[in-house]
Amino acid sequence: MFMSALTQLFQISHFPYLMAGVFLGLTLGILPGLGGTSGLAILLPFVYTFEPSVALAMMIGVLAPTTTSDTFPAVLLGIPGTAGSQATVLDGHPLAKKGEASRALSAAFLSSLVGGLFGAIILSVSIFFAKPLIMSFGFGEQFLLIILALLMIGALTGANFLKGLASCVIGLVIGTIGLAQITGEPRYTFGTLYLVDGFSLVVMGLGLFAVPEIVSLLQSKSTVAGGGKLEKGWLRGMRDAIKNWFLIIRCSTVGVLVGALPGLGGTVVDWIAYSHAKQTIKNPETLGTGDIRGVIAPESANNAKEGGALIPTILFGIPGSGNKVLLLGGLVLVGIEPGIEMVTTQLDITYLIIWSLAVANVVGAGLCLFLARPMAQLTRVPFFILAPILVVLIFFATFNNGRDWIDFVALMFFGAVGVMFKTYGWSRPALLIGFFLSSKIELLSYQVSAAYGLSFLYRTGSIILIFLALGTIFLLLRQKMTPDGRSTVEEAGKQTLFTCFLALFPITMILQVVALDFRASIYPIALSGVLLLLLVSIAGLQMVQQRPEMQRINDANMALRTMSRNIFENHGTLYDQVLAFAMIPVFLVLVFLLGFPIAAVALINGFILMHDRSKYLVSIIVSAAVLIILWTLSGVLTLQYPAGIIADFLPLPWWLGGR
Amino acid sequence: MLKKTLKTISGMIAAGVFSVSASAVLAEVNFEGETVTIIIPFKEGGGTSRTFRFFQPYLSKYLPGNPVIQLQHMPGGGTIKGGNFFHDNQKTDGTFALATSSSVNMQQATGNPLAKFDLLSYEPVLSLATTTHWVTHADLADGPNDVSGLLELPVALFPFKTAASADLFHLWIYKTLGIDGARPIPGLSSSAGYQSFQRGELQMASHGTGNFLKKVSKDIADGKVHQFMTLGVLQPDGSVQRPSYSPDALTFPEMYEKVHGKPLEGAEREAYEVIAANWGPASKGLVLPTGTSDEIVDAWRKAVEEMTKDLDFMDAAPKNIGPFPVVIGEDVRGIIGKAVDLSDASKQQFNDAIAHYQLTYRIE
Repeated sequence: MFMSALTQLFQISHFPYLMAGVFLGLTLGILPGLGGTSGLAILLPFVYTFEPSVALAMMIGVLAPTTTSDTFPAVLLGIPGTAGSQATVLDGHPLAKKGEASRALSAAFLSSLVGGLFGAIILSVSIFFAKPLIMSFGFGEQFLLIILALLMIGALTGANFLKGLASCVIGLVIGTIGLAQITGEPRYTFGTLYLVDGFSLVVMGLGLFAVPEIVSLLQSKSTVAGGGKLEKGWLRGMRDAIKNWFLIIRCSTVGVLVGALPGLGGTVVDWIAYSHAKQTIKNPETLGTGDIRGVIAPESANNAKEGGALIPTILFGIPGSGNKVLLLGGLVLVGIEPGIEMVTTQLDITYLIIWSLAVANVVGAGLCLFLARPMAQLTRVPFFILAPILVVLIFFATFNNGRDWIDFVALMFFGAVGVMFKTYGWSRPALLIGFFLSSKIELLSYQVSAAYGLSFLYRTGSIILIFLALGTIFLLLRQKMTPDGRSTVEEAGKQTLFTCFLALFPITMILQVVALDFRASIYPIALSGVLLLLLVSIAGLQMVQQRPEMQRINDANMALRTMSRNIFENHGTLYDQVLAFAMIPVFLVLVFLLGFPIAAVALINGFILMHDRSKYLVSIIVSAAVLIILWTLSGVLTLQYPAGIIADFLPLPWWLGGR
Repeated sequence: MLKKTLKTISGMIAAGVFSVSASAVLAEVNFEGETVTIIIPFKEGGGTSRTFRFFQPYLSKYLPGNPVIQLQHMPGGGTIKGGNFFHDNQKTDGTFALATSSSVNMQQATGNPLAKFDLLSYEPVLSLATTTHWVTHADLADGPNDVSGLLELPVALFPFKTAASADLFHLWIYKTLGIDGARPIPGLSSSAGYQSFQRGELQMASHGTGNFLKKVSKDIADGKVHQFMTLGVLQPDGSVQRPSYSPDALTFPEMYEKVHGKPLEGAEREAYEVIAANWGPASKGLVLPTGTSDEIVDAWRKAVEEMTKDLDFMDAAPKNIGPFPVVIGEDVRGIIGKAVDLSDASKQQFNDAIAHYQLTYRIE
């Protein structure tokens, strides 16, 4: 089985697509901000037009190398390419400033490579022990596992754990929109057909992750600066990695373990590895000033976590991290259902995933090493060329997903939510995972009570799970609480206002569902209640922070101090964000007037020329290329683009937005 | 001279008439250079999508003029979005069709007020059958075809999606069979339900043909699981046959007679036939818009018939669409009628079953 999957891996129907995925993943990792999550969200609408093995190859191909190539912007520009490379910036960028970028990159790639393989090995070993584990995981254990996963991601993915938990619960409440699971009554749909199915995962993923990154790209106007030049030092970096082999193994282990905790992974693993390095290496005081070990530690961990995070994803259908939510969506779409079959009848598919992961890691890291020079140039693409292309891309992916106009509005809405969340330090992964797991929790709670009642809590598996999770949360929280102090307080008033504004959602939800059957309303009402409680606490703490006389009481009380740590957080001011975000509604209006393809051309030309008149040649070539791609895709996918008002007056062909 | 002229004129007229009628025939049944759109009211990757993606190349091959066949997926509102789109945009030139399934049938059968479409008003082309199989744990039955153990259990759990779907039939089946301990565990698809059944949390489970052959039959062969019943295959003449690949399992009417000592009759028989049509021959279908001309409808039916005789098709069909033959033509109308046109007595039967399990949903 293990070997037959290997031969399948290199078949013509699989391998080229894996490589295509790897290229796409590498590119997305290099472009600052876009990472595996956005990449998968873009890919997902195409996925089900493929054979399952092809789709699988593409998805794994995209996921695996983003955590390798995201090192480029982290080291060269000091901007994390994905959330997983935040810690890499600390030492990677100072190294680049010292003129040792090549050394940092090659050390990072080699440790990424080893970490990725390590993760794949652990994953394949754990498959052997999975069967009895899955068979003993009944409704009760699954229910607990999900609840604990949510607690963990809520508590750990945000800077402030109350805000993290609240983000998670917001996701849960959004997940209740649509038909009630048990009674089939519509909840929060306002009589529309669109909301009957609830929001689409892809649209939410793109809105929450891709849009805010484009916005901050526009805002920082970065990427043209210094980076992109590489000198010698490759061999030295590799020697560094080999010399620190034990650190790589230790951090890979940390990566796999944290990755395997359901719901976690992604955003915290690099920090945990970094602080592990800080605690265990000799002369840790050089960390943060350009120490190569500060690059090696997080890079080996964040590739190893990919393998670890696949364990709960494949075995229990509980996503190991933000991008696994989308992977899971893709797997189900092509007919691969997580669960016991993945280790029995579908074992070949599981091995195919593992092999793909390993190979994608090796190829990804190899390409990064050998193509580093041309690839580093990608970080120099000016933002005003990159941004409109990305906007067209995510609109296209959105439309291809549901082929519904209203998805654009939803994209814009979640884009705005994502921007606000990012600006004021709320957790976007927590929201997405909460959304994804919401219906599962609701159903499991019914299933548990129907099959077991409360007795599920006394099952051995449940007790072990509870202790395991509480212990982990305690350990991780302690580690997380030790470093950084109080964050800078900017726009405190506006942040408090935003917290209060968020409370409108649970309040309207309660009003909407309160008249429904008990079995349809209890779950959203309970969640909304919890959410309101959390929001009130956060708003309260935020107000306390704004009054100096109250702050003394706050500082004296340990619990209050912990709770209000990082209660304010800022990445840029609101005004700048709104300005940069304006591009999205402008494009939407253009689409409404001109239809999608012409609007894309108009946006790209308009935006590029607005920033640099002399670049008209670039804008024409780029928009022509985009038009050709759109034309091809409309044929391949039998996709009829949204028509604009213009189509009522001009007889346009349908691939150009005709009716 | 005059004679000659008349002859020429009549000849010209005849030729003209002939060429007109010839081109008329051509225009009606030739799709050359055209694109045929089949609305799939589901997401890509689902069962209906996969079935029609399998048909796609063959339809293109056998429809006159080899048109491009495009599958337009329109998921949403539990098939209502796609169904309504089809209803509102009917083009009768044969280039527009709707793929149906038991979920589409159920929207109409249960009188969902949002559903504007009326499957009985369309021109049916084909339908495709599956059936359903019920199983229990080996230690709960004395071999296959035995429910005596289940009848005595105080609580026997079974998987159940939601009452607002074809799954409501499960409620009726277990109630009518007289398994008093039966309790639905909500929110479980048949796949998730079977996994939970394998873990020993549920006492009964069921699967459609595809997954029965793929997953359940192995557990039966291993002796872990006994099959106690199939839905049976409803024939056009109203009789019920055992599926060819599972000839020893009792059908529901047979099991009913075994348990109650009397044949399935009256309102219960009627309700059974609704289920047997929905989960049986009407589980997948293809219809053309109302008012499509007979020539075009015939061209479609002929194309499907040629498709089913294609050697490649016959070779690949069992793996892709299951062991049942494709039903073509007017017979489909009756099948869809059975599936969507519920008598008041049948509605009463189903509503009683839903109420029996204390669920609030009702069929209108």
